Amino acid sequence: MPELEFTPVIGIEIHIRLKTKTKIFCSCSTNTDVPPNTHVCPVCMGLPGSLPRLNYEVVQQGMLAGMALNCEVQPKSLFFRKSYFYPDLPKGHQISQCDLPIVAGGFIEVHDENGNLKKIRVNHLHLEEDVGSLHHSASDGRLEGAAISYVDYNRSGMPLAEIVSEPDVSSAKEAVEYVTTLRRRVIYSGASDVELEKGMMRFDANVSMKCSDGRWGRKVEVKNMNSFHALEKAIEYEIKRQKKIMLQGGEILQETRHWNDAKGVTTASRVKEFYRKFIVEPDLPPLIISQEWIDKTKAMFPEMPDVRARRYVNEFKLTPEAADMLTDNKALADYFEACVKAGAEPVRASHWVRTEVLRILNEKALKIDSFNITPDSLANLIKRIDAGKISTTQAKEVFDAMTNNNLSLDEAIKSCGITEGGIVGDALSSIIQKVIAENPDVLAEIKSGKDTKGKKLKFLQGLVMKETKGQAKPQEVAEALTKALN
Amino acid sequence: MQLYELNLHEMIEGLKAKKFSADELLTSCQNRIDSLEKNLNALITRLDDKKISNPSGILAGVPTILKDNICTRDIKTTAASKILGEWKPPYDATVWKLLRDAGSVLIGKANLDEFAMGSSCTKSAYGATKNPHDISRVPGGSSGGSAAAVAAGYVPFSLGSDTGGSIRQPASLCGVYGFKPTYGMVSRYGLISYGSSLDQIGPFARTVRDLQIVMSVLAHHDEMDSSSFREKNYDFSYDESKLNLKGKKIALVKEFQSFNLEPSIANAMDKIKKILEDEGAEIIEVSLPVVSKYSLACYYALAMSEAHTNLERYDGVRYGYTVQDASGLKEMFERVRSYGFGPEVKYRIIAGTCLTEPSRCDEYYVAATKVRTLVAQEFARAFTQTDFILQPAASSKAPKINELDQIDELKSYEADLYTLPVNLAGLPGLSFFTGYDDDNLPVGLQLIGARWSDPEILNAGIVIENHTGSPKIANGGLN
Amino acid sequence: MKLTKEEVNDIALESRLVLTEKELEGTVKFINNFLTMLDSFKELDLKDVEPFSFAETLECPLRADEIHPFENTQGIINQSAHVEDNLFKVPRIMEAQ
Ligand SMILES: [Mg+2]
Ligand SMILES: [Zn+2]
Repeated sequence: MPELEFTPVIGIEIHIRLKTKTKIFCSCSTNTDVPPNTHVCPVCMGLPGSLPRLNYEVVQQGMLAGMALNCEVQPKSLFFRKSYFYPDLPKGHQISQCDLPIVAGGFIEVHDENGNLKKIRVNHLHLEEDVGSLHHSASDGRLEGAAISYVDYNRSGMPLAEIVSEPDVSSAKEAVEYVTTLRRRVIYSGASDVELEKGMMRFDANVSMKCSDGRWGRKVEVKNMNSFHALEKAIEYEIKRQKKIMLQGGEILQETRHWNDAKGVTTASRVKEFYRKFIVEPDLPPLIISQEWIDKTKAMFPEMPDVRARRYVNEFKLTPEAADMLTDNKALADYFEACVKAGAEPVRASHWVRTEVLRILNEKALKIDSFNITPDSLANLIKRIDAGKISTTQAKEVFDAMTNNNLSLDEAIKSCGITEGGIVGDALSSIIQKVIAENPDVLAEIKSGKDTKGKKLKFLQGLVMKETKGQAKPQEVAEALTKALN
Repeated sequence: MQLYELNLHEMIEGLKAKKFSADELLTSCQNRIDSLEKNLNALITRLDDKKISNPSGILAGVPTILKDNICTRDIKTTAASKILGEWKPPYDATVWKLLRDAGSVLIGKANLDEFAMGSSCTKSAYGATKNPHDISRVPGGSSGGSAAAVAAGYVPFSLGSDTGGSIRQPASLCGVYGFKPTYGMVSRYGLISYGSSLDQIGPFARTVRDLQIVMSVLAHHDEMDSSSFREKNYDFSYDESKLNLKGKKIALVKEFQSFNLEPSIANAMDKIKKILEDEGAEIIEVSLPVVSKYSLACYYALAMSEAHTNLERYDGVRYGYTVQDASGLKEMFERVRSYGFGPEVKYRIIAGTCLTEPSRCDEYYVAATKVRTLVAQEFARAFTQTDFILQPAASSKAPKINELDQIDELKSYEADLYTLPVNLAGLPGLSFFTGYDDDNLPVGLQLIGARWSDPEILNAGIVIENHTGSPKIANGGLN
Repeated sequence: MKLTKEEVNDIALESRLVLTEKELEGTVKFINNFLTMLDSFKELDLKDVEPFSFAETLECPLRADEIHPFENTQGIINQSAHVEDNLFKVPRIMEAQ
């Protein structure tokens, strides 16, 4: 009997906070860095009589995020009411686009186990409001078994994009690449900062198993993952769990399971699945997006990181690794390209950005936006190396002086005591004369013809180089010295 | 003649001409309330504030009353439900802001059927309101308190809300004018929702001209309400040159003609038809087969589906009635809601939940949204043939309060057949006074227009009023 | 009968309503009559009919992304009987964990 093979069939739902100044349906600030229940109003508190008003920027960012997922913008979409009772949901229903979303039908490419590119289809991205946040242990510090919860509605009404994939993911590794690539593209689009540590990206996964003997396991919804790591571990755990049950001939229950990050397991949710019914949100007419708006958004849509990386390899002859590293952060890639545009040789610019610039950013915990060496200045520095006006070793010294002391390129060169283009001609001759004059015995020895191996000549040459602080070319020193001795 | 007996435009003129002071006027109205409120129970909250926010506003010094489902900052707002407890909204409804900015003074919040669900004003956690013409009878509803308050002379005008007839039917039973504007004409921001796509705020008054004055204040675009009209202006000013029905077509609904009307209503229909013809209008017939047969089911399906989601927010956490000693969250929600909502509201919540369950949603809720399209289309077609539609505003005179129990729920819904199609199609409707019947009870009828024809309907109303005369103030059980 | 007592009771509980026996009986009767009334929709051919929306409000207005803080947040919070240190305190949701 052949060994049974199992293929995981995984769909992923992602919630991402969109980047706006105000909430999706009211004019409250989205800044959460405030005391509890500060950024609240009748709308996001669900007070009787209040009505939602859709934020223009949420629609704009939703379109951008959708384009980052290769989705098509839908000219007409709609909002619904999704009902369930929970204290963090102030109206008892969430306003969400559900099945008539703003964008639909996209994909994200990942590498399969053989290293080949594979498309994970994105069913759609829809807009919705976030709920408030619950704290279970605020008063007595106990996490489990506490009798009370605390609700903060600052997060209520934050704009979210929910991204639903088709069940095209086949492993935890693919899942992680999918969300990583997706995140990078969405950040690039400008739709969201997707700061993971601020909970701006949350994951659910639908996991089921197909067995080579023809059996299909039922779909299990795994919830509550807030990091790439948790997503990976939860999927791995769930695959293992379901495989084991199927190997033993058991049935997979269709259920919702919660990922327990601390224990590294999924556990069955004890509540009956929330009962969900949708009615059209009667307080919001259909969202109509004009072709002009779509075109305008397409025009402002930036080049995506993977496309950009490919271009760097083809156009600038960078290695794929270097291209990847540069494009990981849009601002860094923009900086690099500005250097190239200012005339720096691309491979050398790439090297400088990846080593020296990133070193300083790391050391000083800076973001590239606040780095004090402009791309133009760095390009000029690189050009001077290439023109042989300063050495690479000197250039690093100059670079440090520029950033540490906030100096221009020329000021930095001066402060490092560097004579651009090196010491030549009369300046070099006078140093040579001085060295000869100070070392009559060495001179005598050379003249006597005893220095057959040229050791003494090398010694004088070294002294001259030292005098010029390395700013003369050794070849020129050797020639000029020989000439002076004859 | 007491000051409270003046109509709105007379009060405005009298105040402007300094024939009396705002203080005297407010006192007169307050005294009127003092003498009648124990008979009528028209108000849930009384206010004795006399502060005038804008002394030069068009309504400066004129008292008013709002239905108690309209939010007023720091003033208890109940929707006549126990579940809202002593809730004081932290904000004002747009309509109240507009009236206050025009100088009007709020002297009470009016009784209603709980969450505006009903047509008798007896289904209130604060007791039934009585009809000021006969206090053994209902005033109609759900805006019964607002209608009774105007009929009894508490105030010259008040605001109600109309989801399926809740302004027009009580106006008719109380003998005042009630206007349900086009959906979108008046902001709903701050109106406690019942059926959001059907709800509309509108005024009651004792003359049509007074309705015009109030509408000129209320009809404004409000960015707080996404269904508020845009890019248009409406002229509600009183203009004699526009009071002309010559050549206008006024239609009766063919399918309603076979219904047996109470004699007083049938007589009123004949009387008004005659007046209209005398004014040079042509009476025609339009056929509304879908409207007459399916709008009742369609309306209740949609109203309940929307209502149950609008009422999901009442859980005792953030405002209103609550319990302190629940052992779990589910228990807390169940105790708050089971105690806080009255029987009619519970019916509608459960019906709405039932209709929108995934297994039934297409069959009932989605089907109803499509039937609504047919209803609206049928009306739109009719208004290519006619300027207005004339029909009753209520199927009978005001029932006796003690006889209500014998009416079965669904039967009582049928009574709304004349009013609720208007809400399905978002049309404007004017309930107007025609005269008194043999029992000295007022009889009202209804004029319906195409969307955004609100100013024209009111002008037509004035033409009729010029023949019938305006209603007298009801004695409210005093002899 | 379209819906049984048990079914109606389940729906009531979905809505967080606990009905007395008498309320339940009334509701069962009401709902079943109501559903019968709605069965009339089946007489209509609705296949190609669009769900309703108003012609004039076919398009959702969009609000500028400008912060306008609500000036009376304390007025919101003061209305709750469950506030502690500006947080809303509720019984623990045991089920979710
Ligand atoms: Mg979601
Ligand atoms: Zn808000």
